[in-house]
Amino acid sequence: MALVAFRSKWFWYSMLCVVCWGGWTILAKLGSNDISAEASQFLFAWGMLPVALVLLAGRRFRMEKNRKGIFYSVANGVLSAIGGWALFAAYRTGGNTAVITVVTAMYPLFAVVLAMLVLHERLTKLHVIGLVFAAAAFVMFSF
Amino acid sequence: MHMPPWFWFSMIVLVTWGVVGLLQKLSTNEISAESALIWLVVGFFVIAPVFYPGKVLFASPVRSLAYILASGALNAVGAWALLAAMKSGGKASLVVPLTALYPLVVVLTAPLILRESITLLQTGGVVCALAAVVLLST
Repeated sequence: MALVAFRSKWFWYSMLCVVCWGGWTILAKLGSNDISAEASQFLFAWGMLPVALVLLAGRRFRMEKNRKGIFYSVANGVLSAIGGWALFAAYRTGGNTAVITVVTAMYPLFAVVLAMLVLHERLTKLHVIGLVFAAAAFVMFSF
Repeated sequence: MHMPPWFWFSMIVLVTWGVVGLLQKLSTNEISAESALIWLVVGFFVIAPVFYPGKVLFASPVRSLAYILASGALNAVGAWALLAAMKSGGKASLVVPLTALYPLVVVLTAPLILRESITLLQTGGVVCALAAVVLLST
């Protein structure tokens, strides 16, 4: 049954994301030894810029004018950055690092609930079992 | 009931990043993954001035600056891939948890790159993550 997804583009794009974000985490860790969290967050946007410019050039500098799409995407960037800042802020409060990491690592499950409520997405029993394994992995990776 | 500050900051993370998962799908319902990524970067720049650390930034070691800039670039490629996954028909409820398993890559490569050892619990996490990948992809 899994072979169906392995033939799907969305699965391989997701795996590319996993590899890139794994590399992102390692590089961020290497860089954060000498740079503050706020400075990292500031530089982060500049690091993203070349990729956005390459994609823009690939589109021959023609942008879609769908206002809803633009609003969702800009909000996506703003909220991602606020979430990143809040994570650093949570660590700085002196709270238990492991607890903070585990609690915040549960954001995908919140996203799943929202997707089911707002987008009316439905999951199979196997997907739900997969989510349980994923949640267990998030917790185990945190220690 | 009094809640400590870390709790509220953690709730901000949960809510903002959870909502981000929803916005990623909503945006790719309207525009291409490439446009969604470009506007996402615009969103990052909208809030970036808040984090500007001042002149101290220019005194940072060049190598560290390069690492952080490269990490931003890799994050952008990853975000584009995630948006492309959603644009290709992937459900937000599957793509978001699947891509959130990226610590799997970190745990597997950290011993080589960061000279960090893997704990028994993290090894269990690798097994759970691999099981989750198979189950979520069905």
